[in-house]
Amino acid sequence: MTKRGSNFTIAMAILIVWSLLPILWFVRMSFMNHAEITQFPPHIIPESFNLSSFANIFGFNYKLGDGSISSASGQAGQIVRGLQNSVIVSVVVTLITIVIVVPLAYVFSRLDFRFKNLLLNCVLLAVAIPPVSTLIPFYTMYVQLGLVGTLPGLIIIDLTTTVPFVTWMLIGYFRNLPPIERLARIDGFSRLHTLLFLILPLARSGVAVAAIIAFLFAWNEFTFALVLVNGTPATTLPAAISGFLGQDPNPSQLAACILITIIPPALVAFFLQRHLGEMNLADPVR
Amino acid sequence: MATMTDKKSLGRSRLKRRELTDGQFALMIGLPVILLLVVIVAYPLVYSGWMAFHRIMFFGGYRTKFVGFKNFQTVLTDPEFWWCTWVTVRFTLESVILTMLLGLAIGLLLNRPSRFGGLWRTLVFLPWCVSLYGAGLMFAYLARGQTGLPTAVLAHLGMKQVPDFMTTRSIIEVLAIGSSWTMAPLVGFFVLANLKTIPRRLYDLAAIDQLTPLETFWNVTLPPLRFTLFVFTSIATVLSMKLFDFIFVLSDGGPGDASSTLTYQLYKVSFKNLNLGYGAAMSFFLLFLIIGSTMGLYLVWGRREKQI
Repeated sequence: MTKRGSNFTIAMAILIVWSLLPILWFVRMSFMNHAEITQFPPHIIPESFNLSSFANIFGFNYKLGDGSISSASGQAGQIVRGLQNSVIVSVVVTLITIVIVVPLAYVFSRLDFRFKNLLLNCVLLAVAIPPVSTLIPFYTMYVQLGLVGTLPGLIIIDLTTTVPFVTWMLIGYFRNLPPIERLARIDGFSRLHTLLFLILPLARSGVAVAAIIAFLFAWNEFTFALVLVNGTPATTLPAAISGFLGQDPNPSQLAACILITIIPPALVAFFLQRHLGEMNLADPVR
Repeated sequence: MATMTDKKSLGRSRLKRRELTDGQFALMIGLPVILLLVVIVAYPLVYSGWMAFHRIMFFGGYRTKFVGFKNFQTVLTDPEFWWCTWVTVRFTLESVILTMLLGLAIGLLLNRPSRFGGLWRTLVFLPWCVSLYGAGLMFAYLARGQTGLPTAVLAHLGMKQVPDFMTTRSIIEVLAIGSSWTMAPLVGFFVLANLKTIPRRLYDLAAIDQLTPLETFWNVTLPPLRFTLFVFTSIATVLSMKLFDFIFVLSDGGPGDASSTLTYQLYKVSFKNLNLGYGAAMSFFLLFLIIGSTMGLYLVWGRREKQI
């Protein structure tokens, strides 16, 4: 028994190291200054442990230990603005996705109607289309509609990826809820009432998971943001960070930025994660 | 005539609280979404279809010319296209297999009761919170000889080698490991949810029957997981095949064209070379590949599991 216990501990330790290693490698980089990060061979533990890059990316100068000043990043304006925009876009996309997807997944999973399979295949097709191939058609349409470089434009584009994907995942979940529609009908509830006041509370885990997934998709959307809003006042954090890749390569500030992008989704996931434990896609005994 | 009576009964239903039929209710809920889906699915497809049958020229004034199936022919006779297809297939296979194995391992490990279970769950879930471009950057820095962990460890031990994994031979493996690092936690959590529904007494019965741990896993644990595993194999396949930003950031299709998957090639053809007709034709082949492989998965595996 102790042998199995220790095996479990070792496996768990490997899993934790595996999950955290790439993130820790960036934590380490974000604490280094510019001189140390370019040293070869690279250090495992940073020697000059400083927070300069975190201050710099938000537009503040930082005084290093030796008296020299690490000056604010030129990207700071874009990053602060990107952070605000990203929060707005992600929250709005999450709310709209839930309002659209929950009834849709419910309808697909619990009711029978004509063209159901055709429409379901439409959803699957929308999941399968790669964003690179829809970029040009959407861009052309956006130029005509004047939506390039605007937040509503980006929100609409994000919805085109979240809605089909989340619907696809929730259909299996709704199938597993107890069949209470007949009972509700006997008790005289209308369909809308059944959905809003009986099914929705039962399905709160599914709704929570839909929220996590939609938030993460919108928060991390890169391809469309790069083409549609990069460099405009409507830039989002991912697009703003891409500035570090090209004209202003600064690995420690880049690392600090990436670490900041992890925090909001991690918080969302932390508060909603217990719902993930209740997502049964298929009931084995049915 | 039929629609009129439908409308009448709809109007009256509010007063008399009569039930809507399934179809009417579905229409009421779904109509706005169906319109949205038409835009999402049909518009880009029709537009790409139009582009695929035209030659679009920018230099010397924008003009288009109808060329029939020529773009499709060019794609099929282009050795570059077949190379990219092979890269895509190889990457997808590696990434999906790794993701599913890791996801299964995560689910099984987290299912064991342990102290600080909530903390472990949060830590294991973290990779999924990292964006794909963030993960791409992380793995680029980890794998590159100049900045990577292996070099740092070897230097720490006093060795001078510079192991570089961003090479033609191993770049696809780096990509597959990275993408499975981000996707596996999601699979793991859904597996975990399913594991929790397995009644305890089945394990007691298995112990009475003196099954080995492997037999217990095969006969008790695995059967209820199979449907979830199928669903996520499909999802992982689709996500791997349409993965772009991760590859764009990590390797930029290189070194050379060693990691140019079809999505990357599509980006290169359409946005760098501005060869829009050719790119559109290629995007249809990519779409066929994605749909074809999920259909194949369904026919070979999914059909035997319980239907959604």
